[in-house]
Order: sequence, then C-alpha cells, then structure tokens
Amino acid sequence: MLYMVNKSPLMHNNLETCLRIAPPEEPILLYEDGVYAVAPGTKAEALVRQALQSHPVYALKADLEARGLRQCIEGVEIIDYDGFVALVEKHDVVPWL
Amino acid sequence: MSNKVAVLMRRAPYGSVYTAEGFRSMMGIGVFEMDVRVIFVDDGVYALVKGQDPSALDMKSLGDGFPMLPDFEVTKFYVHDLSLAERGLTKDDLVLVLSRSEGMGVEVVDSATIARLLTESGAVLPF
Repeated sequence: MLYMVNKSPLMHNNLETCLRIAPPEEPILLYEDGVYAVAPGTKAEALVRQALQSHPVYALKADLEARGLRQCIEGVEIIDYDGFVALVEKHDVVPWL
Repeated sequence: MSNKVAVLMRRAPYGSVYTAEGFRSMMGIGVFEMDVRVIFVDDGVYALVKGQDPSALDMKSLGDGFPMLPDFEVTKFYVHDLSLAERGLTKDDLVLVLSRSEGMGVEVVDSATIARLLTESGAVLPF
C-alpha cells in the first residue's frame, strides 16, 4: 500500500500516526503541506529520518517548489507528477488525510 | 474601541485557502485606515519564505504578494521567533527585509510580544 500524507508535520500528527501503522517497506508519499516534513532542520526531521530506516519516502516536486523548499533530507526521493502516477499504478493507495 | 486590527496567520500557504484569504483581507482593511498588524505564528511563517514558485500548481506566489502590501497601508509585520526556530528558519530565509524606517519591516518577536500585540488589538482576524 502507498501511504499518502498531505498535512504539515508541525501542525498535525498525521505523519507520526501513519508511521505507527504503515508496515516496513511500504512506501510513504508526502505531498501538499506534507512536504514540509522533508526540509532539513525542522522539529519533524527526526520523524522523517526514522521513517527512512524502514520505508521508501517520496516527496512531490511541484509541492516542494511551490513552498520554496530547496533542500531535502538525504534519502528522500523527489518525484514529479509522472513519478506520482507510476507509484499509484504500482500500489493501492491509503490517503492518510 | 481600538482601531488596531491584528491579522493572525497560522497556516501554511497553498495547502488551504486561508493564507490567500488572509492576504485579501489585509488589502481590504488597510484602505479603511485601520492600524493593521500582521502576525505570523506556527505554519503561518511559511507564507513568507523566499523563492516560492507555485506555477506548477497553477497558483500565484503568495511570497511575492506580501512585499506589495505597503501600497495598501499595511506595513507592520511580526514573526514569532519560536515558530521560525522550530522550522529551521531565520529572518534571512524570509521576504520583506526592508527596515521599518523604509516604510515596511518584519520584526522577529517573542511569545510575550505576540500576546501583547493581540491584547492591544480591537479585533483579531484568524487565518
């Protein structure tokens, strides 16, 4: 399953609760305000590093650019819309709204 | 009653309509000659980050919008220091770098200052 998180990790606990449920190796996709999680130096950085221990973590490029986020925690894979579509084709989706 | 109005911005841009609507309200209030102070707390500070490019989302950059607000008599901007620090940001990461003496400025302020600004305002508009 592809777990999709679109909420800011600094205002909501969606990413944290998603990581409690998502089994190891299942991919996590961060989009919309969810992409703030991958900026280095935030209070949420440890959470993302923990996620990277056991999950592939993806962040949507258009949402990073919209928010002026130029840097990304190492290990997170930045994908464009084509990459997004490829993930959704490959996996069933769990929107963690 | 105080003619001071605080616009309290607490949400990130683009993920919801709140930042854009807050921006529209600032322009409207400014032309009615009220004393507007715009306060950025929590994810609200993300509205001021430099280099926003939402063109792929078919939206306009809100970061480019705030520096135009002095044309609408909105010149006082306050940013919460803890909210910046929690996000790994400093004042250098933000738009609006002119000093107050140039007619506009961003002051990075502490929690007690934010509380005082809210207390002395006749109304608080939350976005």
